[in-house]
Amino acid sequence: MTANGIFDSTTQVLDKALDLRSRKLEVISANIANAETPGYARLRMDFEEALKESVSQTGSGSGTGQRTTHPRHMTTGGGGAIQEVRGHFYRQMDQNGIGDNNNVSLEREMVDLSENQIRYEAGIRMLGKKFNMLKLVIQERV
Amino acid sequence: MDILGVMNIGYSALKAQTTRVNVISSNLANMETTRTPEGGPYQRKSVIFTSSSRGFAQELENSTRQQAEGVEVQRIVSQQGAGKMVYDPGHPDANAEGYVEKPDISLVEEMTDLMKAKGSYEANVTSIKAAQRMAIKALEIGR
Repeated sequence: MTANGIFDSTTQVLDKALDLRSRKLEVISANIANAETPGYARLRMDFEEALKESVSQTGSGSGTGQRTTHPRHMTTGGGGAIQEVRGHFYRQMDQNGIGDNNNVSLEREMVDLSENQIRYEAGIRMLGKKFNMLKLVIQERV
Repeated sequence: MDILGVMNIGYSALKAQTTRVNVISSNLANMETTRTPEGGPYQRKSVIFTSSSRGFAQELENSTRQQAEGVEVQRIVSQQGAGKMVYDPGHPDANAEGYVEKPDISLVEEMTDLMKAKGSYEANVTSIKAAQRMAIKALEIGR
């Protein structure tokens, strides 16, 4: 979806955010599923910063230049066009050295799960409003 | 197919936890079993979980990003070693001194494990429900 035409960049950002949120749900549910697997390291996913950065870059008109802000970033991890934002995946290793080296906290994952869900629904609602506005202006009757 | 991915991950965990509950109930049922086809008393069994391995094609497709994995039961292991000796001269399996070898199963340990399995199962049901709810919400866009 390009920014021209009737769909503006807000729609684009919301679209991408929902996409990333549903991907994040997959990561969280993998952590919950592996909450008792010995040696499992919690998988984390961050995309908020990268998305914010790409929004501000697109807003100032500096285009699709990609840059990395962290030595472990993949080339598509941050900056660049909104559609290119993939999020940053990393595993947090268990540091304390006791037990079975599994560092999943079920409470943490549950909190993340509900936060993710609320933000997803907020995105859905905003996208719905956006489309309703479009619908309103393209109606012929007054 | 992220939503379906979540469903598959959740399902793998539900399956693994069900196997775990089966093993626990087998342990509880056989707390007093002194004869088995293999000979000797029943040996306590436990499950070993592992992150599920993926096929090559999927691995290739996702080679650029870290992938969320499900869980599966790698194997069920029997605890090796002698059971606990209980003095019961009237028992048909008693030895010359009147002791019977019984499985070394702790009721408290099994019940704790059962509660943990139940908790994990519920957590995974919650994540499947979250996926379902998000999918339903997505269908409401533009309504």
